[in-house]
Amino acid sequence: MSRLPRASGHFRTSYAQDFRLIQTPLERRWLAALLVALLTFPFIASPFLTDLASQALLAMVGAMALMLLTGFAGQVSLGHAGLLAAGAFTAGILFRETGAPFWMTLPAAALVGAFLGVVFGLPSLRLRGLYLAVSTLALHFLVAYVGGEYESKRGFSTGIVIDPPVIAGKAVTDPRAWYFILLTAAVLTLLVCLNLLRSRSGRAWAAIRANETVAEALGIGVAANKLLAFVISSMLTSLAGALFAYYRGFVSVEAFSLFLSIQYVAMIIIGGMGSVLGAILGAVFVTLFPYLIEAVMQLLPGAGAYAGVMFAVNYAAFGVVMILFLVLEPQGLVGIWRRVQTYFLLWPFKHKPVAGARR
Amino acid sequence: MQLAVNIAVLASIYALIACGYVLIYRVSRVLNLAHGELMMLAAYLLLTTASSFAGHPLFAISAAIGLSILVGAMVYLFLMRKMTGEMALAAVLATVALGVLLRGITVIVWSAQQQYPATALGLVNPSIALPGGARISLCGALLVACTAVAYGSLLAFLRFGRWGVRMRAAGQSPLLAAQRGINLHAIYAIAWSLSTFTGAMAGMLIALDSGLGQTMTIIGLKAFPAALVGGLDSLAGALAGSLIVAAAEVLLIHYVDPLLSEVVPFLVLIAMLVVRPWGLFGTREELDRV
Amino acid sequence: MLRKLAAAILAATALSAPAAAQDAYTIGLTGALTGAPASTYAPAVQALRIYVERVNAAGGINGRKINLILQDDSAEPGKAAANAKKLITQDGVILMLNASLSSTYAPMLAEAKRAGVPVLFASSVCPKDVYPPADPLQFCTTAFAANYDSRAVLDFIKATAKEPVKIGFSAMAIPISRGEIDFAEELSKTMGMTPVDKEVIPPPTPDYTPFATKIKDAGANWAYSWAPWVTQVRTLEALRRLDWKGDYIAWSHIEAEGELARLKDDRFYVIGANALFQDGLPIHKEIADAAKAANVQYPVQQMAEGWIAGMVIEAALKATGWPATSEKLAAAMSNLKVDTKGLRGGPIEWTKNNHFRTRQYYRVYKWDAAKISIVRIKDWTAFDVK
Repeated sequence: MSRLPRASGHFRTSYAQDFRLIQTPLERRWLAALLVALLTFPFIASPFLTDLASQALLAMVGAMALMLLTGFAGQVSLGHAGLLAAGAFTAGILFRETGAPFWMTLPAAALVGAFLGVVFGLPSLRLRGLYLAVSTLALHFLVAYVGGEYESKRGFSTGIVIDPPVIAGKAVTDPRAWYFILLTAAVLTLLVCLNLLRSRSGRAWAAIRANETVAEALGIGVAANKLLAFVISSMLTSLAGALFAYYRGFVSVEAFSLFLSIQYVAMIIIGGMGSVLGAILGAVFVTLFPYLIEAVMQLLPGAGAYAGVMFAVNYAAFGVVMILFLVLEPQGLVGIWRRVQTYFLLWPFKHKPVAGARR
Repeated sequence: MQLAVNIAVLASIYALIACGYVLIYRVSRVLNLAHGELMMLAAYLLLTTASSFAGHPLFAISAAIGLSILVGAMVYLFLMRKMTGEMALAAVLATVALGVLLRGITVIVWSAQQQYPATALGLVNPSIALPGGARISLCGALLVACTAVAYGSLLAFLRFGRWGVRMRAAGQSPLLAAQRGINLHAIYAIAWSLSTFTGAMAGMLIALDSGLGQTMTIIGLKAFPAALVGGLDSLAGALAGSLIVAAAEVLLIHYVDPLLSEVVPFLVLIAMLVVRPWGLFGTREELDRV
Repeated sequence: MLRKLAAAILAATALSAPAAAQDAYTIGLTGALTGAPASTYAPAVQALRIYVERVNAAGGINGRKINLILQDDSAEPGKAAANAKKLITQDGVILMLNASLSSTYAPMLAEAKRAGVPVLFASSVCPKDVYPPADPLQFCTTAFAANYDSRAVLDFIKATAKEPVKIGFSAMAIPISRGEIDFAEELSKTMGMTPVDKEVIPPPTPDYTPFATKIKDAGANWAYSWAPWVTQVRTLEALRRLDWKGDYIAWSHIEAEGELARLKDDRFYVIGANALFQDGLPIHKEIADAAKAANVQYPVQQMAEGWIAGMVIEAALKATGWPATSEKLAAAMSNLKVDTKGLRGGPIEWTKNNHFRTRQYYRVYKWDAAKISIVRIKDWTAFDVK
């Protein structure tokens, strides 16, 4: 993992130091503050805001999984919604047919995800770029078709209803409890991603992304590592899907449309490609943005008069902001974050010192 | 016989839409996922021109076509031009964002209702008896004819036209083309205009035949597998791909299960990707990184 | 960035919280106001909004205004769930309304049940839970209803047809429509008809002719479709283009009145529970005037469904009194009788056991080429709901 060197007198003198997740005492303090903020949030915020935060946390799991695949291993996927659906349906079908508790359905969902990862990943051995994206898209439609047929054939016309998971004899329905469950899931995913990226496979992925031929020449098993990326990413995604099913208490194909895949791709691009922080920021942004627009729209004078078209305006505004982001800030939110960081690091100077001074 | 007619009509719909995807991809390597929305926009423009030029259907149609060509050029100038040089996925996402924007705008301006441009234009859509007991609607026949003319003239244009040759050159190697003095931005803008033009024709004819609503965008997406099966950078391929997908769809509806028609295009697509990833007539591509 | 965003959102949501929530009846709706199926739901929601505004302008109910909060779900279940959570936890609604596809029901109900808030399906298809024995929290004012509709349709066909009926069916590939058409197919066998073909058509289909070809080739002389309007009418149009001469009957959705006049088809029947504006009742004029005053973008013929929902909500809130809670409202709704002033064949009557209506009435209309207008073919026919 390459990071910006700190401007202060902090130098890395060994590889072990370079690998460390937390590098400086200041980072440690910031992290602790963030953790405290995250832990106290649901006790301060209204249930609605807690729900929003939970949605964002759930999106983070999926976004990080996609970032692993697309941003680091360089494999484009438009079948993300299909994988989420697979996880959700595994949980839903197991619960409906056998009444299995969540500690059985979640691993099952992960297994199905791993299997689908191989299936989704196989085309990647032959296809690249756009063609790969389209083959994953086609698989998305197949998963959706199978799920839809199950729903129709079993007569769950309005979706499969799932009871909330039971932990320690109590059904989890409280928004706060869910916030903590999803927070744990997001933090665990984050740790898995960060650790993978600084491991051998993480470096292999970076090599494959940069140049497959060179990676092969360096002795990296390209096919195996590509498949591994698909399997890990799909497992995480599938788990996120199963969590979604429990969180919302239902599963139905309509919840996993193509638009959902696009939203996830939007998350990693708006957040900033090739950065775990980007996936997190992107997930938060894309999840909260519609609510933000809505709130702003309601502040405008005469909002009631336009109530009929307000939602269309909301929709259009989402398009505009996405376009503006892509055109004006191709580095994504992480780009902004880094600029702000650099500004403070270099203050009072505007640019880095002349090259060669220190690197 | 009716089956053959059904296949021909469906294939024409897919082919006329698919050539829009192909034109842009061939020239600028961008996948335009807003094609369905641009189609829909053209059909809505027809609705507006129909009411402002009441009684002159031909004039209204040409005005709407002119407007949509303009829209295509503007999309390139104000949006996609800024995306040149970005990674492929970002450009695709930009077209998705454009699609979201257009969908919102059409609802604001024309409401979410199902509309009928044919009624607004005062046109009727009689059905024509064909030899062999088959029947085709006038719009269906027009669609087949338009597709034939569009493909004929596009192929001729790309083969013999001065700008057509330049477009092919830009598609093969943008750098070399630019160094030979070809104005890349003009070429891309023309590709976008042509693509919206064919899309507009498809959108208007579908709307005249069966009404206009937000579902038009999904129809646009359904033609996408056809373009891929044929090869994303080959016009002839798009035609062949549309025929294959349409035939598979109609025959499966007729002999197996109507429900399958939804997944058939994608099944054909997966089969194709396994056997010949670059499509029937497409060129094998260099790897493109994300 | 993250923190800035969070702060902005906190500020925005705090500001946007309804200030008048304490002294008004707060009710919330999640509906498909954008997206592909919006044309079915958006007009009804707009009618409901106009109705509520009129009630408020006239001084409200029991001296309190109605605060109707609209949320768009684009017919996506995930959004519907989030909307329901927001309406319940942030806005504190005492009644939830649904005007969206059936796939949004499960997630919305999950939230509503948890909070004990009653749910009213207004303009979206009635789920089976509102039939006796009814779910205590689910209510429905929508005209169309699974099973009863097909019974009325097949009764009508039986009474009208002069020769043996060979019937073809057309459904949209959504569970609710498929289920109803399957039901109708079975029922038609017991009524002495021959079901010859059944087409389940995926929603985004560019050309309906391949499906219509099958119905025609199967030799059907009647066809019945119970699906969203697009599927119903485009199957008919495709059939007619193939020169099919049989009789076609479909559900009279809110678009029906305008569409009968557009199609001018002599053998196309629509069956429904709402009186068409053609009938020119006093209430129809009232709706037309209100729509004109509010400058609505939809044809007035599509407003009846939302209006009926408005009437029922007004009556329910009146019976609840003030201060209102969701328990009191649910209790009031379980014992309610609302005069529909002719918009329906009879009152909407809810009992503890029946949250649909005690009697469902159907009327059949069609276009008459000789008279150049829509004519009523069969007047209200009642079906007892048990």
